[in-house]
Amino acid sequence: MTVGDFEDKNKQRWEEYQRLVDGMEKGKPGPEAGQLPRRFRELCVDLSLAEFRMYGERLTERLNAQVIRGYEMLYQKRRASWEKLAEFVAVRFPQTVRREWRLFWLCNAVFWLPFFAVMLSASYEIQWVQSILGADGMASMDQMYGGKEDQIAHLREEYGSNFMMFCHYIRNNVGIDFRTFAGGMAAGLGTLFFLLFNGIYMGAAAGYVNHAGNPESFWTFVSGHAPYELLGMVVAGMAGMRLGLALLHPGRLPRVRALAEAAKQALPLILGAALLTTLAAVVEGFWSAQLLPSGLKYGVGIAGWVLVTAYFTLAGRRVGHAP
Amino acid sequence: MTAEKLDTLQAVELAEGVEIRLRVAGPMLRAGAYALDLLIRFGVIIVASIALSLLGIAIGQRLVTGVMLLGWFLMEWFYPVLFEAGKRGATPGKRILGLRVVQATGSPITFGQAVVRNFLRWVDGMPFFTYGFGMASCLATRRFQRLGDLAAGTVVIYEHAAPTPILAAPPPIIPVPLPVGLSADETRALVRFRERAGLWSAARREEIADQAMALSGASGAPGVSRLMAMAHWVQDKKHAAGAGGRNGEQSNTPVTRR
Repeated sequence: MTVGDFEDKNKQRWEEYQRLVDGMEKGKPGPEAGQLPRRFRELCVDLSLAEFRMYGERLTERLNAQVIRGYEMLYQKRRASWEKLAEFVAVRFPQTVRREWRLFWLCNAVFWLPFFAVMLSASYEIQWVQSILGADGMASMDQMYGGKEDQIAHLREEYGSNFMMFCHYIRNNVGIDFRTFAGGMAAGLGTLFFLLFNGIYMGAAAGYVNHAGNPESFWTFVSGHAPYELLGMVVAGMAGMRLGLALLHPGRLPRVRALAEAAKQALPLILGAALLTTLAAVVEGFWSAQLLPSGLKYGVGIAGWVLVTAYFTLAGRRVGHAP
Repeated sequence: MTAEKLDTLQAVELAEGVEIRLRVAGPMLRAGAYALDLLIRFGVIIVASIALSLLGIAIGQRLVTGVMLLGWFLMEWFYPVLFEAGKRGATPGKRILGLRVVQATGSPITFGQAVVRNFLRWVDGMPFFTYGFGMASCLATRRFQRLGDLAAGTVVIYEHAAPTPILAAPPPIIPVPLPVGLSADETRALVRFRERAGLWSAARREEIADQAMALSGASGAPGVSRLMAMAHWVQDKKHAAGAGGRNGEQSNTPVTRR
């Protein structure tokens, strides 16, 4: 059978197939779309035959392109859905965090140890904190938490301020989460840097306000959103460390494969971190600056910590392990 | 499966038992697509800021600033993710240049893969937004993968590969049977030689044909026409007598080529 014979014999089937794929690509599958898998397999056999019989590149390239089109249609991934998102929040994310408990404690340590060390250092020697914050940092802390009256709330008096700050926190803090994750590609060093830096800087801010500002206005402001924001950052750190460790310690896999596997495991972590940080931005934008009794605000903060602890320890336990 | 060659064509074997070939796109074209995407994003942001600042007179400047910050954030991180996870598998810039992101296996990428490859873009862009790391990684890997691609297991390919120009020299009248058994790769080389011969000058054709003197038994122009005659026999005559099973190809069956 020559090339021409082969083409003549199969022409009709190929045209049929092409019509099916065209319909699928336009998002309007016709009534006979169910035939696509069979037609696809036939075309695959045709391509194999054409290659095997050396019918030449003109034909094989054409068939190759057609096979790729059908392959992309048949192997489309299911679109995201609300159901999947709910399943992710209720089961997959907390399960992944529990499975990575070593990284969880490691990243917590990298953040909290410097935080408390720097914060407590303020009561012995204020110069450390001062040199970390610098003149500008101290000035802005004074502006926000300096005096007795509720400065933060006054800064938010203009209409729309809460929404603007919410958007600012999304952009800034979620962006930091993503960079913390990406920093893992530098063998985890980038991730460690972000965690350490934030631990030191936030510790310095807290220490400075305790020492020279109005601690109550600071702590009532941060208590509401701290659980979600800080844990979000720690979880983003876990995602980054997962990547970094895969490069440092690939085990039995080649490094590139280990990296790809680690990225799959890190994915729920970074998405969950983004959700946590978004939640933090909602709280920080619309709740934290409200003028309310300090007791209530501390109460909400404590409730937040209880909530996230319960969430990470209990959620998704009854369901089988995430795949 | 043929041996690894220095080529941007990547052979991928599907579950259906057939091998498809993907043409991987190089860093220059991808840089172009990135530049286009930057322009598109800047354009959108500029137009949106003008529209929003007019709107701001009515609804308050701070609300508008918030919307702008949010838009900026989404453009920065989610513009490529949403487009690449979408049906076309490409950002507008990539689409303009005819590129597409697929898994290394050729199938469409998942949302998760789009997230990984684009969030790691920040590292590829280092140092100082020169894309130095991404470029180094592209040049060091066989499939032009930047770091984000390696982690996500994705490649950027041409959506519609430009067909290789084929200009076969006029076929000789008499097909000549192959004197010896050739391997599949050798036979393929012979067929390709015939298909491309029209692209070359006569001298170049002879130069190449002289490499196969052992097969053709002649040098210069007679060697060329003898090779052509053999290629003609392979393509047109061989299977008239029944498929396969000849010329050292016994191990090849049409459906599972290995």
